[in-house]
Amino acid sequence: MPNFDTGHLFLTTLAPIKKGTTLDDRGVKVSHEQKIRTTLAILPTALQSPATEEIGINSPFARNLRTHLCRFMVLDDVVFNGRVKQDAIVTALSGEDPIHPRPVDQLTNSFLLFVADIDAVTEDGAPLPAKLSKAQQDEVRDAYARRLWETMEAEICEIYENCEGFDTVKDADGFADYLRRCQVETTMPFNDYWLNPPNLHQLPVKGMAAVALVPLLVALLGAIGWFTGSVPLLTWIFGWTPGWTFAGGLIATALTVWGAYAYTLRNGEKPMPPGEYGDLPSVLKSLYLQQKFADFAVRMQGKSNAEIHAAFGDFIAETQPENKMAPTQVPGVISIQRKNAIFEQ
Amino acid sequence: MTRQLNLDDIQGNVTRGYGRFSFPFARYFFLHIEDPEAGRKFVDKVRGKVTTAARWTPETKPKVTLNIGFTFMGLLQLELPTRTLQSLPDEFIDGMKARAHILGDRDPTQTHVGDSEWCRHWDPLWRNNRTGNGEDVHIWISMNAQLAAEGSDTPHSDLEKQTQWLRSLCDELDQKVRILATNGQSGEDEYQSASAILADIGGYKVPTAKEHFGFTDGIGDPVFEGQYPDEQVPDVVKGRGKWMSPERGWEPLATGEFLLGYPDESQELAPTAVPQNFMHNGSFLVYRKLHENVGSFREVMAAEAETYAATMDVSREEAEETLKAKMVGRWSDGVPLAKVPTYAEWKAFRKERGFEDPNPEKAALALSRYLRSPAASDFRFADDMKGYKCPMGSHLRRVNTRDYLDPLNQADSDNPDATTQLNKRRRILRRGLPYGSATLGTGDDTTEQGIAFMVVCANIFRQFEFIQQQWIQYSLDFNLGNTTCPLLGNHEHHKRHVIPSDPESGKQPYIMNRLKTFVETRGGDYFFLPSMTALRMMAMGIVDPT
Repeated sequence: MPNFDTGHLFLTTLAPIKKGTTLDDRGVKVSHEQKIRTTLAILPTALQSPATEEIGINSPFARNLRTHLCRFMVLDDVVFNGRVKQDAIVTALSGEDPIHPRPVDQLTNSFLLFVADIDAVTEDGAPLPAKLSKAQQDEVRDAYARRLWETMEAEICEIYENCEGFDTVKDADGFADYLRRCQVETTMPFNDYWLNPPNLHQLPVKGMAAVALVPLLVALLGAIGWFTGSVPLLTWIFGWTPGWTFAGGLIATALTVWGAYAYTLRNGEKPMPPGEYGDLPSVLKSLYLQQKFADFAVRMQGKSNAEIHAAFGDFIAETQPENKMAPTQVPGVISIQRKNAIFEQ
Repeated sequence: MTRQLNLDDIQGNVTRGYGRFSFPFARYFFLHIEDPEAGRKFVDKVRGKVTTAARWTPETKPKVTLNIGFTFMGLLQLELPTRTLQSLPDEFIDGMKARAHILGDRDPTQTHVGDSEWCRHWDPLWRNNRTGNGEDVHIWISMNAQLAAEGSDTPHSDLEKQTQWLRSLCDELDQKVRILATNGQSGEDEYQSASAILADIGGYKVPTAKEHFGFTDGIGDPVFEGQYPDEQVPDVVKGRGKWMSPERGWEPLATGEFLLGYPDESQELAPTAVPQNFMHNGSFLVYRKLHENVGSFREVMAAEAETYAATMDVSREEAEETLKAKMVGRWSDGVPLAKVPTYAEWKAFRKERGFEDPNPEKAALALSRYLRSPAASDFRFADDMKGYKCPMGSHLRRVNTRDYLDPLNQADSDNPDATTQLNKRRRILRRGLPYGSATLGTGDDTTEQGIAFMVVCANIFRQFEFIQQQWIQYSLDFNLGNTTCPLLGNHEHHKRHVIPSDPESGKQPYIMNRLKTFVETRGGDYFFLPSMTALRMMAMGIVDPT
């Protein structure tokens, strides 16, 4: 379920890293795991620190307008955290000898983890969807994989050539297929683009309680009849048998409670709606506009209304607030003051 | 029942800011320990002279005080046990120089390679510190002195006597503990001297609470349990403790926020070294020499005042006074904006309170009485969420956020139940005095003036460094992006300070946009302030953590 939420796709993929050795750039024998770690260590990150700005090479993920955040990581193994705690009395009664080690959870080999928070769209800048079927989600993921291949094929190959099963990937479709096989379900997405509290799927708690109360009351009535022996009026009119009413009411109560529980869970699984302006082009545009507007406000201090009015016209013409694709801030840079940080049309 | 502190075991500068207790002169010495045994002997001799927190009577009040602190390198040189040393807090082990990035002392846009000379403007004493070349600072000794006589502008002669005693102690130890005489911009001073700025009232000199920009400083220091005698607490705690609720009002902060070995506001002990009685009743001290660029300040204020006066249609004088107040959060005389928000109200307030009495002596007395009264500290910010009275980015509101950051506050409405729950974990005791010329309004960026700034707190990382990094050099908590404190912030890259304006006044907000770095660090380090017990253990070489 949480692969898709708030109009974003939260992608989690795990690719098994090859065992054995390969040669690094200097011809030294290294394990595939070491090679992939080295490649990731020198993969350009966004231009968000003095050192990276000086290098001037932006992250390859800045070549598309869908990636909000992404991360590569080598997952060695799961962490062994000691024996699972257990009650000493229960252990003694069950006859388990605590001196013997228990099996420990381990992964079969190292994995390359790639996670990304992307706009759930198939075209850069398309509006965020509120709902997506499983097939549509797959389509979004495939489109993203193909976009990555188009914009950073060299980097992808250098990283993934150390992974099992990548050798057969030759094109964008092949990479999309590879990522599909690597995908695991994301269980905890994170959203940070709420301008206003989201309109969540509220549970009709009162209605649900009312529905559950009816069979409960019937069961209670049955119980009263059963214990007191007779409710003359009801028996006389309907030929009522309180025992069966009690049993039926109880079963119906159990069924309604289970139904309410299932409904609650299903309601919780519904994706939250997209935040207004939560797509990457809008986020970048707002960063751009915010900085431009702050400069404008400073420039206009002490100016007459007529001057401000005229200047505001120029400001709108220059910044084009309605056009979210340009002019805008380039992804991966920290402010528009930096070199090449504005994307002009 | 409040726990009675063993005041005779605690160093005096933890509970008292000497400057406010009529000690307007100070000398700060920094010493190097060449030889551990000599170091221990030195500690043993000095501990007999240390001023404790014991309460004074007019008879027992000393003419000159003495306090001592140690850097991590100093404790290492005194051969404290490894287990004690390794359980000290990381930031203390690092020292101030290594924390320059966190503190905003280094340009965040420079790489290490491009900025290897980043501390070139520091005093030689601090430039040479932590280089391992025999110039490392190991010990801090402070002496504070009373006036020679009331109305004079010289310190009591005991100050020089005690200085001479320190010099001869170093001689006695064959200079194996020596005073690093590389203080000051030129690197030629034996000590960092400091003194309150003096006002001249008809030839009679009176120490003031002013610093070199002309602001009144050091008004609202926190109050913690055990610091003041019980009968003084209800008054002194107003605006200086923690605000609990409208029913409970102000209460003193937990002792453990400022003294080690006591529960702090989270009911935990602040992290520090073993054994327990080595750290108990001790604290940490941050020494920071803060240079004030008075020339730049005058220039920028003149330029901004001109624009402000034109934009807001007010006089130049009102413009400059208002801008200064909106930067700091108090008017230059110390009256808080939160209580007296506008220039006209301030003028009326001054008149009503007698600060403008034609008799300068009476005026000074009235002001001094006000600044020492709870009225000068007893205010909050949650009733001014939009900063119409006191801007969110002003210095005062940044460094002591009071109830402004209560988690239940809403940007658009008041929260009468707001408390200081978060703020109470980020309070510091400010010590120290101005240095440089004793008269106001002289000098420029190149002359020596500023504040020998000192902070006492139980956890340097959680208290001092947090305030410096998150509230002074960054503004996310105040929804002001990455602007910095208008007064103390680094303005190499962020030159703005937003002054909101009540829409009902019909005036626009004003954005100062020419700020320069007015205050820059010239060096400093982190020190451990041992208790008398710990000093004795160090002197005897029996700090046994087993």
